[in-house]
Amino acid sequence: MSTHERTAAPREEAAAPRQATLRSALRLFRSEVGLIFRRPRTVAMLAVVAVVPVLCGVAIRIFGGDGEALLTQVAGNGLALGFVAFSFMVPLILPLVVAVVAGDAVAGEAGLGTLRYLLTAPAGRTPLLGVKFAGMAVFALVTCLVILVAALVTGLVLFPVGPVTLLSGTTVPLVEGLLRIGLIALYVTLGMIALGTLALAVSVFTDTSIGAVVTTVVLVLVSQILTVIPQLDAVSPYLLTSWFQRFDGALREPLATGDMGQGVLAFAAYIAIFGSVAWARFTSRDVTA
Amino acid sequence: MSTRARAVRWGVPAAAVLVVAGAIGAGPVIAAVQGEPQLPELTAEQLIGEVSAKWSGPGTLPPMSGTIVETASLGIPGLPAAPVGTSPLALLSGSHELKVWYGSADRFRLAIPGAMSEQNVIFNKGQAWWWDSAANTATKIKLPAEAPAPAPLPTAVTPPDAARQALAMAETDTAVSVGNDATVAGRAAYELVLAPKAAESLVRDVRLAIDGETLVPLRVQVFAKGAAEPAFEVGFDSITFAEPAPENFTFTPPPGAKVTEGDLPALTRQHPQMPAGDLALTGNGWTSVVTLPFDAAALKDNPILASARPVEGGRVITTKLVSALVTDDGRLLVGAVTPETLEKAAG
Repeated sequence: MSTHERTAAPREEAAAPRQATLRSALRLFRSEVGLIFRRPRTVAMLAVVAVVPVLCGVAIRIFGGDGEALLTQVAGNGLALGFVAFSFMVPLILPLVVAVVAGDAVAGEAGLGTLRYLLTAPAGRTPLLGVKFAGMAVFALVTCLVILVAALVTGLVLFPVGPVTLLSGTTVPLVEGLLRIGLIALYVTLGMIALGTLALAVSVFTDTSIGAVVTTVVLVLVSQILTVIPQLDAVSPYLLTSWFQRFDGALREPLATGDMGQGVLAFAAYIAIFGSVAWARFTSRDVTA
Repeated sequence: MSTRARAVRWGVPAAAVLVVAGAIGAGPVIAAVQGEPQLPELTAEQLIGEVSAKWSGPGTLPPMSGTIVETASLGIPGLPAAPVGTSPLALLSGSHELKVWYGSADRFRLAIPGAMSEQNVIFNKGQAWWWDSAANTATKIKLPAEAPAPAPLPTAVTPPDAARQALAMAETDTAVSVGNDATVAGRAAYELVLAPKAAESLVRDVRLAIDGETLVPLRVQVFAKGAAEPAFEVGFDSITFAEPAPENFTFTPPPGAKVTEGDLPALTRQHPQMPAGDLALTGNGWTSVVTLPFDAAALKDNPILASARPVEGGRVITTKLVSALVTDDGRLLVGAVTPETLEKAAG
């Protein structure tokens, strides 16, 4: 399923070891991104992710909003489809897709026995983990952009597009509406990078990528169940998933940054904690496979 | 790799956890280190005097904007911990947020943000709109011709209204004192403590935080006896004393919205239907007991009633702050008093 065409980089002169490390890391990064996006399963996942907004749009076009305010809005303005698409996909589809790529990042290489060879490259373990993180982050961003573009194109084709009505009842020009939906896409991307970091940390602990993927998805499901139980309200601010959908502040007037700001801080905390856990494990473990 | 080097590496995630925990816990710690704000000393009489001088007349609030948070943990048995929505029942438990932009008495906006929805009331110089994003309706509210803008919320949850009511209660049956200065929404505030003298009251005290500079009431807390956390609290979470942006007070129904004309829908129509019949008030002040006719059979399946404790001649529902007695002869007695007082009142 993978075309591992990486070879150990030729040893550079000792005169510029740092530069060599950087160059090697850059080469690794290019190869990692190429590897992620050339995989048939990545292409299939991106296709699925792009199809969901299209299906949403077609369904709303055929059956109407059915009284649901958010969906009715789409019928009036195609731009709202971007918002609807993110609300639909953030709870499960997006975390699943990101977990597949991030969970495979290290465990997949270890399982195939290619991790050993990667570590012989002069880049070193820390840059290698950095490359894995960056590849996952790029994938999360691309996935969100695919959703955004698919939703906007569908909205443009199927519905009228014009000034956007916000939740506060204010109408803003088209460009500002686009900017606000772009802000939502960035927020969701950051949330998915935080989840991907968690998956990466799990991935570093195991040699079976499916184990890392399933662990991450189960964690997402469990924390979503915990969020629903009212008696556990005190716990939910600490759960990653309870921040995924807190982007509705972008659709208020004036822009309500409170929730989103806290969400960004929560994502940053998750990235810092699980990133450092992954680093501590990856740089100290014995790679035998 | 040596064990020591490995331990050093694991120190990094441990430090990351500590930093995050520190950042989460920093707020209370910083507040504790900073200590209480220092405001000029005032006696209870001076404070009430200043406050009533400012607000008893046509006192005007300075222009401001902020977020009001209402939190209730009355401990009502059988009520789901967090009912959703903005109905009066939902306000009885959980936490609710209300955003306020206040220009003057006839120019203000209130917003109730919900998940992916928002409700707005906008008053602007004789024009009033109610916007409900979930229903996609804009309602032009009919205002009485001569009266100025009506009270913002019939449920009296804005701090100034709640403060007026609390001050009106300060009579002979109340011990009034000034507590330690508090910090509310980042502002130094006086705290007026009103404690009922009657032993049978369930209320320990009502604490009213009044901004040291503008004398705007910032927070009202009601503490039940034997509880460290307030049973009911409404106050500003953040507040800025500055003229809000004028866009907040202009409202044009968005294209595609249903535009109707009427009165405040959600806030007035959703009030529970009061039982028809005579209300009787016994006792006074903190220990008042309201007696009203009540048909228990109509609410047989109600979870609150099902959890009631049977006593002689009826059933008692107790919460932290309020007791209710449903008698077998069809009366309902409610008061912020011990159940025994209710039974005595029922006779």
